[in-house]
Amino acid sequence: MRPLIAICTNTFREIIRDRILYSLIIFCLLLIGFSVAVGQLSFAEQLRISTNFGLAGIQFSACALAVFVGSSLVFREIEKQTVLTLLSRAIGRATFLVGKFLGLISVVAVVVLGLSLVFLLIFLLLGGKIHENLFYALWGIFLEASILLAMTLLFGMFTKPILAVSFSIAFFLIGHWLDSLEFFASQSPSGLFATFGKSAVKLLPNLERLNWRDHVIYLDHIGLDQVLWGTVYASSWSILFLSLAAIVFARKDFV
Amino acid sequence: MILDVSGLTKRFKNQFWAKPHYAVKDVSFRVKEGSITGFLGANGSGKTTSIKNILGLIYPDAGEITYFGGKPLSNEVKKRIGFLPERPYFYEYLTGTEFLQFYADLSGLKRGPNLRKRIQTLLEKVELPHAADRPLRKYSKGMLQRIGIAQALIHDPDFVILDEPMTGLDPDGRRTVAEIIKDCRKRGATIFFSSHLLHDVETLCDELVILVKGEVKYSGSTQDLLKRAQAGYRLVSIKDSSPQSERVVDQHHLQKRMRDLLDSQAQIIEVIAERPSLEELFIEMSRKGSQEQVEKASN
Repeated sequence: MRPLIAICTNTFREIIRDRILYSLIIFCLLLIGFSVAVGQLSFAEQLRISTNFGLAGIQFSACALAVFVGSSLVFREIEKQTVLTLLSRAIGRATFLVGKFLGLISVVAVVVLGLSLVFLLIFLLLGGKIHENLFYALWGIFLEASILLAMTLLFGMFTKPILAVSFSIAFFLIGHWLDSLEFFASQSPSGLFATFGKSAVKLLPNLERLNWRDHVIYLDHIGLDQVLWGTVYASSWSILFLSLAAIVFARKDFV
Repeated sequence: MILDVSGLTKRFKNQFWAKPHYAVKDVSFRVKEGSITGFLGANGSGKTTSIKNILGLIYPDAGEITYFGGKPLSNEVKKRIGFLPERPYFYEYLTGTEFLQFYADLSGLKRGPNLRKRIQTLLEKVELPHAADRPLRKYSKGMLQRIGIAQALIHDPDFVILDEPMTGLDPDGRRTVAEIIKDCRKRGATIFFSSHLLHDVETLCDELVILVKGEVKYSGSTQDLLKRAQAGYRLVSIKDSSPQSERVVDQHHLQKRMRDLLDSQAQIIEVIAERPSLEELFIEMSRKGSQEQVEKASN
């Protein structure tokens, strides 16, 4: 347990001392600030526009952090050969991978939490009322980032960071359009496309299931069971991707 | 035996479609408990590949490696091993103390005054107490090498593997590393280190493994190798007031040459028994190894 905590803590420290993190945070803060300015242009929908922008900014920061930092998380260790001294210790390769995952996901959690506080302050100043949906939406963003991080780690086992980022962005987009893909596939006269659509829905994580941001605006009811199910859904995908990454990592030669 | 490597073979492909080449082929050797064993070989001879195989960082295509009297590699075995890789790169954002603390955590050592004292002692041993709170990015190459040795020793291992620990160090740095190696042995550890700095190896090691083009050419004691090597003699004489110095390969030739010199009215000044240095032996082995490979290829 101690080595796992050590790797997790060190990864956390590594990312906290990395400039890319602060670039993302500044970008998100600018986006939240911009949302207030854009909201001013609207006569009646200021809160809605600001909320949309604010949550989108937090989602972007969390997902970008997971994908961009996650893509080089293990690659950098192999490239710089720091992995050699780590794995020559009494540490399983899977433990190393899980430690790296937990370290980065902790940073994502801190970033989401910090940005949420800024967002909440603006939300309250604009006359918004705190509703549980807001917390569910933020939780959904965190879950989505955890799936993307595990997925990016898996891609990082096969390929270089730039390609891992590209694949993850592609799967992020597909993950949000799976419902549309399923609909078009069911309407399509092409049997091949219908099969492809159905398979994609079954084989890929549907990230829209974790998107509760619209509910913050419209205050629709979100059942706790829906949130719990979303949590189980996201955790299952994350564990699956991490397990596959661990299988590949276990067979790797560190030449 | 601390380490028993038997029939270790590893092949690599440069490209997916290329024919694999042997990095190491049927490598077998043993490391005795309490010894300082030097792992010699030219660049590309397979030293680092063998070490990575030993530590489970790459998987062999064939062969068996056992530790501490026949145990396979496991976390329990790894707890007793300390390792410094070649050209070490460490987390540059950590300070010297944070870095050693991190490796202590990885080794499962309990935090507290004892560990703080151990870190302090190690920093003093590698002559870096002044840089304890400096980030590693500000360390010189020699300092990184020394802090790397400290991380390998943080958990007081029984078996220390150092890959090229003296490369890139100035004479003072090499002396420090040599002292650390001797000190490790004094406290009962076994040291296995690769190098191509033959003078350091000759003075430090009591056992040697010599690797040429991925194959073991010698495995045994340093003294045996030096004794086994053909000795020679340097014969210094004066004839007609002009000094002469010549080398003869054995006693038979020495006696014959001495008789010739005396017959020719020369005066024999000195006869010095000479042994080839490890460096000469190593160069000879490498040359023979290359020749054999060329012959194999042409056949």
